[in-house]
This record gives sequence, C-alpha cells and structure tokens, in this order.
Amino acid sequence: MELTHRLELFPECSVSLLLFNRLKNAAALRKKAMEGSIEGALINPAMIVDPFQVLVAANKAVHLHKIGKMKTRTLYAEIIFSLSPNNNISDAFKKFGISDSDTAVLIVLVVDGEKTVNLKDIASQVEGQQVSLDELPQLTDTAKVKKVFTPQEEKIGTLLDSVVCRMSAKDVL
Amino acid sequence: GAREVRAFPSGAPEDCRRGAGRACALCRWVSVMAAAGAEAGGARIAVAGAGPGAAGPVGDGATGPAVAEATATGPAVTECEAEAGAAGPVAAEAPPPPLPGLQLVKQGAEAHVYRGLFLGRAAVAKLRVPKRYRHPALEERLSRRRTAQEVRSLLRCRRAGIPAPVVYFVDYVTNSIYLEDIVDSITVQVHISSVQQSGNDTSSLLALGEKMGELLARMHDEDLIHGDLTTSNILLRPPVEKLDLVLIDFGLSFISGLPEDKGVDLYVLEKAFLSTHPDTETMFKALLKTYAATSKKSGPVIKKLDEVRLRGRKRSMIG
Repeated sequence: MELTHRLELFPECSVSLLLFNRLKNAAALRKKAMEGSIEGALINPAMIVDPFQVLVAANKAVHLHKIGKMKTRTLYAEIIFSLSPNNNISDAFKKFGISDSDTAVLIVLVVDGEKTVNLKDIASQVEGQQVSLDELPQLTDTAKVKKVFTPQEEKIGTLLDSVVCRMSAKDVL
Repeated sequence: GAREVRAFPSGAPEDCRRGAGRACALCRWVSVMAAAGAEAGGARIAVAGAGPGAAGPVGDGATGPAVAEATATGPAVTECEAEAGAAGPVAAEAPPPPLPGLQLVKQGAEAHVYRGLFLGRAAVAKLRVPKRYRHPALEERLSRRRTAQEVRSLLRCRRAGIPAPVVYFVDYVTNSIYLEDIVDSITVQVHISSVQQSGNDTSSLLALGEKMGELLARMHDEDLIHGDLTTSNILLRPPVEKLDLVLIDFGLSFISGLPEDKGVDLYVLEKAFLSTHPDTETMFKALLKTYAATSKKSGPVIKKLDEVRLRGRKRSMIG
C-alpha cells in the first residue's frame, strides 16, 4: 500500500510514503506537526504529481541533513522546503504543507539504520483511510501545480520534469 | 581501502582557508615541511581525514624524517582536519555512487560519467575529477563554479524550451550532478558516422543539419553559450527519424550576449564537425543557413564567425 524506497546515496536511509484520503483531522494533525510530535512530513497531495517528486525532495533533505547544511530546523521541515521552487520557507509550508481544510494527506517518513518503520503508529493518528500511492494522480491539482511552477517547457518534457528540475536547481539561482 | 593522499601547497598561513589568518597547526606544519625541503622532494603525507577513502597509516612515499614529523604532528593535523568539518580537502577522488545497475560510461577530462538507477529512474551521474595539480583552494572554487554554471545552464535551457536533461540532484560537496538519462539515445556523431558508412540517404543529414541550426539559434537567442559544441554533445532521442535533439554537457557553458562568443561557439562546432566527419560541408552550410534564418540576432554572429575563421591557426593575418 505504502511506497518505500531505499536511498541509493544513503543506503542506511529508507523513505516511506503513505497516502490518506477522506481526512477528518487535518487541523489537529497540522498542529501536531508544528509542535514536532509527529515523526513525519505532512504534505498536501494536491501539489504532488508523482512520488518521484517527493523522493527527490527527501533525497536532498537527507543529504543536507547529513552535512549539516539544512535551511530549516528539522529533516521533515526540510523535505517540505525542498519541494518548493523558491527559497522562501514559510511560503513552502503554506503551499506544500497541509492546511486545516485538507481532505487528504501524504505522509513521508525517513528511517535511518536499523529502526523499524512504525507505520501503524502514524496511521493510528490519522483519521482517514489509507490508500495506495497509485491513487495520487487523482488527488493532484494540476492547475495549482502549474501556477506555482509556471513551466514554459511543455513540449520538451512532462510537468514532473519541469517540477523536479526547478526543485533540484533552485539553490544555484 | 584507499588512502587519502594530499600534497600540501607551500602556502603561507594566511592562505589557509580554515579561517583568515588563523595559523592553524596544519599551516604551521606546512611551512615547516616546506622549509625542510620535504615538499620539494615531493614527499606525500597521508592524513587521517573525513570522507570516503579516509587514511590509514602515514604513506610510504615519505622520507624518514618527514614520517617522524608527520606522526608527531598527527593529532594536531587530525584536529585541524576535524575542525574544518565538511569543508575538508578535496583530494581523494569520489568513489562511484552506489547506484543500482551502475556502469561507467565515459571518463572525460572533467568528470567520470556513470549510468544507473537513481530514485527508481534511469540517471546519469557526473562525478567531477579533482585536479591534483591545482591548488586545493582554487580547485574547490573552480569545481563549484563549473558545477553551478552547468546546473544553471541546464535550467535556463529548459525554461526556454530547449531540450536538455532534467537535473535530479546536485551535490555541492563533491560537485557531482545527477541528471536524467536519455535512454537509448545516440550521439549525433555516431549517427552521422553510421549514415555515411551505410552509404544511405545522406539527404537526411541535411535535415539534421537544419534541425541543429534551429536548436543552436534558439539557444544563442537565450544568450546561452554552450562552450563545448561537438557532435558528441548532441543526442538524438529514439526513433532517430524524428530528429528529436537533446543538448548535453554544459560544463563549460556561460551566459553572454556578445556576437563574438556566439561566433566562437559556432566556430568550435564547425571545427569539430569538419575534423570528425569528412564531406559534411554541405550539412554544416545548411546548419548555418537555418541558424541565420531562425535567430533574431544572427547577422553580427555570422559576421563574427567569418572573422574568427580568418583568425585561426595557419591563417595569414596579412591584409
């Protein structure tokens, strides 16, 4: 149901993506995330076109975390920040983090080393139905994504291509 | 495991990048070594440092007294290295990334290129080769600048609708870039050679030349100079008949609006073309014609190209 990927460049780290629909306690979850009592990044699935986009953000966040050069304070905050095409942290949270009115949430967990993934623990805190990542495209708001990323390169690649390129190259600008 | 070997420059303590003017143990030691003439003798000293390929015991290339000195100041050196933390020496070559399906594609002058799967997608990893003859500070700066320029150019290309690989991840520590692998593509170089060899329809090459001209015109109109235009830096996506081109290798690229720079860019391509592929003069002519027709600023560029041609090697400068 969930998607787990071991990061090639950081073999001890594995990233897990969980998707929940019919969410009822978005506000409570957001509060918990802000307090730091949830072990995971809570992402607005409407802004995600493909799990690859999240993996790229997670990979970058883990890299920066390992070299101590994160721009935010926690790994999970850094994942959300990495999803944004610009360097404004609060803007990133507003656009890519969950808001109180959301009805779906994508949760990202990063597990380092031997720790077992505590998916059930996370799932129990969410008042919603866990669904497969295959349902992600149905939740994507393509118009909203295009508005944020303003891709001009429709003919040379997919929307995912332009999104990922912007994410990865943003700190060179 | 590999040993991290480092040749120390005979720089003054002020040159130390670990804090301006701070005469750290390492730099003081360097001056001592230089004075002792050990450096002139090319003594190489292994240092226990952070990162991959971290050192073991002191290298066997060092002379007797040098070894003793090294071990004596060992703890101080390690301490200094540890202080430097992430911004440690870029001496050891980065090991190949542990990507599944990894294979070495090319060993260029600037970087080793590998293919493999990255986050589940076919990717190309460009790992920069550190040039040990350079001063480490320069090496670091140059490496970082080239990487940044490459990434910036790739992004600029894509934003302008010019086909170039997607950037997946940039590691500013090792100055490595992970980008999209254009699967089953062939270089224009290989394509031209195979068409010529099979004696087939060479008129298709004219169409290819026109496509290239159009692509380069659009790139130059964005004031983007490739810097290393050759037929092996332009890819053809499958199926080849579609003439779907992709530009790669922007390691030497830069931004410039000057007709001179654009003219030189074209000249580099022309030289590469005519030297690698015989009997392609008509093809290149078609390329230039389409370039002139597509680019809005082509007039001065073509003029400069003619000037640059006259400038080259074995050209008479009389008149």
